[in-house]
Amino acid sequence: MKTILLLEDLPEIRVWLRKLVLEVFPGSTISESARVHDAIELVSAVKFDLALIDLGLPDGSGVDVVTKLRDLQPDAQSVVVTIHDDDEHLFPALQAGAFGYILKEQARELITEQLQRISQGEPPLSPSIARRVMAYFSAKAKPQPTANAMPNVSLTDRESEVLLRVAKGYTLPEIGVQLGLSRHTIADYVKQIYRKLNVSSRAEAALEAQRLGLFR
Amino acid sequence: MQSTPAHFRFFFRFLLPAFLLCLALWPAAGRADTLEIHWATASPIAPGGTAAAPATPVRLPDEWANSRPGFGGPLWYRVQFQPLGELDSDDLTALFIERVCSSLDVYLNGQLVHSSGRMTEPLVNNCNHPQLVVLPSALMRTGSNTIDIKLAGYPLAEIGSRLRAGALSTLLIGPQSTLALRHARLTALQVSAPQAVSATLVLMGGFMFVLGFINRRESQLAYFGALSVGWAIIDARLWLRNVPVLHLGHSAAEFLLCAMLGFITWAAVQFLLRYAQVRHRLVDVGLPLQCALLALSLLLAGPSHLNTLANAWYLVLALEVAAASAWHLHHQRHTRSAWWMAVMLGTAMLAGAIEFGSQWTGARPLVAHLAQLVVPVIFVLVGLRLVQQHGRALYHAEQGKAQLELRVREATAEIERNFRQLAELRVEQVTERERKRIAADLHDDLGAKLLTIVHTSDSERISTLAREALEEMRLSVRGLTGKPVRLADALGDWRAEVVSRLAQAGIEGDWEAPEDLPQTLSARAYVQTTRILREATSNIIKHSGADHCSVTAGLTDGDFHLVVQDNGHGIAAEVDGRLDRGHGLASMKNRAKQLQGQCLVESGPGYGTVIRLTVPLNRAIEGA
Repeated sequence: MKTILLLEDLPEIRVWLRKLVLEVFPGSTISESARVHDAIELVSAVKFDLALIDLGLPDGSGVDVVTKLRDLQPDAQSVVVTIHDDDEHLFPALQAGAFGYILKEQARELITEQLQRISQGEPPLSPSIARRVMAYFSAKAKPQPTANAMPNVSLTDRESEVLLRVAKGYTLPEIGVQLGLSRHTIADYVKQIYRKLNVSSRAEAALEAQRLGLFR
Repeated sequence: MQSTPAHFRFFFRFLLPAFLLCLALWPAAGRADTLEIHWATASPIAPGGTAAAPATPVRLPDEWANSRPGFGGPLWYRVQFQPLGELDSDDLTALFIERVCSSLDVYLNGQLVHSSGRMTEPLVNNCNHPQLVVLPSALMRTGSNTIDIKLAGYPLAEIGSRLRAGALSTLLIGPQSTLALRHARLTALQVSAPQAVSATLVLMGGFMFVLGFINRRESQLAYFGALSVGWAIIDARLWLRNVPVLHLGHSAAEFLLCAMLGFITWAAVQFLLRYAQVRHRLVDVGLPLQCALLALSLLLAGPSHLNTLANAWYLVLALEVAAASAWHLHHQRHTRSAWWMAVMLGTAMLAGAIEFGSQWTGARPLVAHLAQLVVPVIFVLVGLRLVQQHGRALYHAEQGKAQLELRVREATAEIERNFRQLAELRVEQVTERERKRIAADLHDDLGAKLLTIVHTSDSERISTLAREALEEMRLSVRGLTGKPVRLADALGDWRAEVVSRLAQAGIEGDWEAPEDLPQTLSARAYVQTTRILREATSNIIKHSGADHCSVTAGLTDGDFHLVVQDNGHGIAAEVDGRLDRGHGLASMKNRAKQLQGQCLVESGPGYGTVIRLTVPLNRAIEGA
């Protein structure tokens, strides 16, 4: 029994998604919403296990809901379900604390499989996002004048190794075999990478706010 | 003209003064064959008249200011002389009077032989004009000859300067040829030189005045111009016999001359202050007031006290100019031209002192004449220096202007360049923003509709078409068409998709590809290759019945190869050729053709299927 938030503005797609979610998680309770505003209210009131969040909504970006959920219910899993497949849209959502993302136009069975994996604690990570994450952390690794003000969020060698292999197109089970680790351990590494991405971006945001004089 | 050439400077500083000094000293040499007369008898009444007049002997030169103060003439002088012997037959005897003030008639043996001008008020001013009187041979007697000189002059009290009070110098009688030469030299020194100098001063002063008047920031030029012109007018007293205002009486002329000195002082003091870049309100107001005071005091005192009052004023004015000079030099002591100005001012002071001194002694030595000339010469030199400085400043200003223009041009070019860059940047920004807006619109509207078709259509074909349309739309709006994809990245994406799908379907996947390829693939080639590969994978999963699939990627001669091989039951010939139901083989080939590549399918029942895709890298980029 799961409590699931479904944020999607297109009625047909929402219906389709609801059907699909019920197939994967039979008997779960689904709260539907078509607007960011309503979703944030729901997040404040109801405890969720899983949230499927669309990004482009009429009254804002789904990233705000991801952030809110991360703040209020750290245990809930945010999964971005979107039509955008570019890093420009996905990366901020991952930074905000999303656990993974699913592209909407994929075939039904693919989405089903991805949802199952996510529920089993194995976050999806595409090679292009892996490359983007690597670029992000290697840019941060360079010496910066404000380095001492930043919490030291960097990837471990193992995490970097996993990222590099993902970028080359290896699947997580393959990487597990190559490194002599279980697929759960590899999944934990990926989760850890997502978490660090979120922590790092929060630190950056705080630093930026400090720079702008919002905090004294 | 960065600086005055050295030889010019040498000329102005040394040669010119030396030349003038030589010219002035020339007539100093005396002659032996002339007769100098130092004694005469004087009588206020004409000789030969009925009334017996007491004739008193006087020593020449006779300065009325000393010998008969308050006397206004006329006075008759009589001298006796013996004719000079052995004169050349073609030479004449002449009388030379070095100085006579103001007007005289000369009688030889009772006959009028010379008149210097009007003998009644107002008198003609001959004070600076030496007189040469030819004594006609016909009137000469072999024995004793008598010369009577009728002299009319002014008493000292009514005259501003002792030099214009009645006086008669030593008389010289000698050969006309010798005395004419002497007369000419003395005239040149006392009359022609002041005339020339006056003309120069008027010209230069006028020029400077106009220059200073136009350019108010250089007001010292205007004051110097006024000073020069004023001095030229004052100097006219030396050579002008008939003053234009003389019909008002000589006292009016004297009054004007003295009042003029007030103006000259005004101009001189202001020049010295302004030249040192100083303005003083007290001075600006005080000096004109002083001029008025001077004129008023002279008017109130009347002609009889003119000399005394004028001398007092001379002293005051001289002290003022001296104080201004000292102040100027003190203020300018650190500048380059300070020593030069000091020499000029010092010389002018000295000349002024000599002039002032000669007022009291009544002597008229050569130095007094020179002193009179020195002041205007100094004015000319200072004027030339001012013109030089003005010219140099003008030149520097022109240069500065040219430099400024150059800098303005450079700055303008810089601004234009920056503006162009900014405009380009702005165009890029606007384009980017517009692209994002269009992308958002398309995703929201077209994307949503296509997505709905993808997931609500019953036909797999329509779903696939809609999905492809969605991808196509993304590609267009993202501007990815222009952005090439690294082959290594592309291979990573393909591997992830193919291997995970095969694994999902329970098919053993085997991927072989070189790593870290530096080549790039055009965005379109990337998308089309992705679709071909996706189609091939789908075929294997759905139709082949294979349990193993190997994908091999590689590069040969700039062509990218991809071979997908499975161990399934292959595709029946009729399916490949005619029906192609759901296999999409035709669309795979078609896509490869669009990339100027090819897609070969080798298959037979029971042999599995091999798909060979070849994409030329360079042409694919060009075709994009």
